Amino acid sequence: MSALAEILFGGLFQGSLYAMMAVGLALVWTTIGVFNFSHGVFMMLGAYIAWQLVEIGLPAAVAFPVAVVVMAGVGWILQASVVRPLIGRPNIVLVVVITTLAAGSLIENGALTIWGPRSKQIPALIDGNTTIGGVGVSLHQIAIIVITPLILAALWVFLNRTRLGLALRAVAQNEDASHLVGLNVTALYGLAFAIAASLAGLAGIFMGGYRFMSPVMGSDPLLKALIVVVFGGISSISGPIFAAYLIGFFEAACSYYFGLYWTPALLFGVLILTLMVRPEGIFASRSRGLA
Amino acid sequence: MTDMTSPIAPIRTQTANPVAPGRTPWKAEAVGFVLGFALLALLPLVFGDTYARHILIMAFIYAIVASNWDLSLGYGGVFNFGHLALFGIGVYAYSLLTKLSGLDPWIALFASGIIATLAAIVVTIPILRLKGIYIILVTFGFAQLVMQVILSQSDITGGTQGIVRIPGLYWFDHNMVRDGKFAYFYIALALLVASTLFLRVFVRSRTGASIVALRDNEEYAISRGVSIVRQRMLTLAASAFFTGIAGAFYAAYQRNASIDVFGMSLATIILSMVLLGGTSTIYGAIVASFVLTIFAEWMADFGAWRPMITAVLIIGVMLAYPSGLAGMIKAAWGAVAGRIKRPA
Repeated sequence: MSALAEILFGGLFQGSLYAMMAVGLALVWTTIGVFNFSHGVFMMLGAYIAWQLVEIGLPAAVAFPVAVVVMAGVGWILQASVVRPLIGRPNIVLVVVITTLAAGSLIENGALTIWGPRSKQIPALIDGNTTIGGVGVSLHQIAIIVITPLILAALWVFLNRTRLGLALRAVAQNEDASHLVGLNVTALYGLAFAIAASLAGLAGIFMGGYRFMSPVMGSDPLLKALIVVVFGGISSISGPIFAAYLIGFFEAACSYYFGLYWTPALLFGVLILTLMVRPEGIFASRSRGLA
Repeated sequence: MTDMTSPIAPIRTQTANPVAPGRTPWKAEAVGFVLGFALLALLPLVFGDTYARHILIMAFIYAIVASNWDLSLGYGGVFNFGHLALFGIGVYAYSLLTKLSGLDPWIALFASGIIATLAAIVVTIPILRLKGIYIILVTFGFAQLVMQVILSQSDITGGTQGIVRIPGLYWFDHNMVRDGKFAYFYIALALLVASTLFLRVFVRSRTGASIVALRDNEEYAISRGVSIVRQRMLTLAASAFFTGIAGAFYAAYQRNASIDVFGMSLATIILSMVLLGGTSTIYGAIVASFVLTIFAEWMADFGAWRPMITAVLIIGVMLAYPSGLAGMIKAAWGAVAGRIKRPA
């Protein structure tokens, strides 16, 4: 019983964090058609900005939302400076990989210079611990498990039920037609990056609440988010969300039965196998072409 | 490649005069090749101190890795983001072969190239059906898989501690340690010459032309009887051999192996060498490796600011000259030539 509870809880918790990261990556991919390799750095920056705001005396309830909003601005600026000028270039996918990597390195080293290498921690969302089904868990983790689906649901409503969200999806589906019907495609590109960056920043705040922060804390979650996105399929938003939880459970089960060391290797093995059988991802429809 | 649902255009060379393999007469290129490397061979006479030679050796290693990456990335159009993993496999193959099984360093060096080639063939299998971004993700995943396996097998590989006291190379009775890196300089240069010669002959051959054809117009190339499976495997295998040897040489030269070779920072630097130099040139990647390595050393005084300055420069060049330094030189040459011509 306790084994099942542990796997279930671990899976839900990790899955929530992966989902938050992966959705942003997928959003940028579907709208602009590029992969943002500074996404992990967004996560780190969100956590550090939140830490800084708490440090100057703001209560967490104010500091966290402010940090998320600041991250939206950071995402917008990054998009405007290293992605937008390249749109329309023949080899944009490759060039954006290197410009976002370089921008990530810039921000990461900037954070290292400003805040130093010493590990930091930000306050938990809710303090305290509890026991569910024989497994001791912190209330912070439960808060994350509860809040994440709400945020993802809100994002779904935004993308499917509001004019702005529909405009974003229109750009994702057909950029030329979006221009023709008068959508401000440039602004929508910025919006996609802004949403992605704030989601990553929020994931960073969640993570900084239970684990020590460092300027390189985003690289591993970025990697996991990449796997999730490949696994779930790139062409939709819901695919990566399902995949995030699936991988969360897979990891929890693997580390329970095979130990922490073998989990990443098993995960990548499964990933490569999946791609050989279904290159478009397990939750994607077969109709969409690969390019 | 004419997928209209794709939000971005597929990779294609859109220069007015696409550089076809074999366009420069081979005799002219051979003269340039010999002169260029002869010049490099004379460098130890100018730079007597060990540290300058060390920088040049590192530049040679990076040049081998970057120019081989240009074969798969530039000519092949295969976004192989596991290229540094092949380098890392070379590092660890050499270290384990010499240290654990006591193999002769020179045989181990060669064997590391073979092992990296085999690894490249294995990684090609899952990407045979894939395109574009999916190749980036799988090869990226492959690199991480290799790293995780090395980390988890810490009994053999030392895990995060790495491997130390790896046997170095030897040259008859020559003392490799107290010669001011003289021997290592020439071994590195010889490897670079061999690798560059191999790459240039490869891309100028019919096989090289068919690989470029697959990149530029896949359907047409296939319809003309080019096998995408065989050519893609060949491209990756060919780009892996000298990359693995460079990794082995790196291990022999540094005398230690660490997991850092799989890190993002090294991959970013080497990738920026390929892109800064301008893809599909081979020489561009080599020149950019020299420029970036020496530039990084020149900025050593800036300390923590160094990676930030490098990042800003990479972004700046990529934004201004998408075809890299080669495009920059071409543009500068065009401006100069235009000014000379105008009065006439």
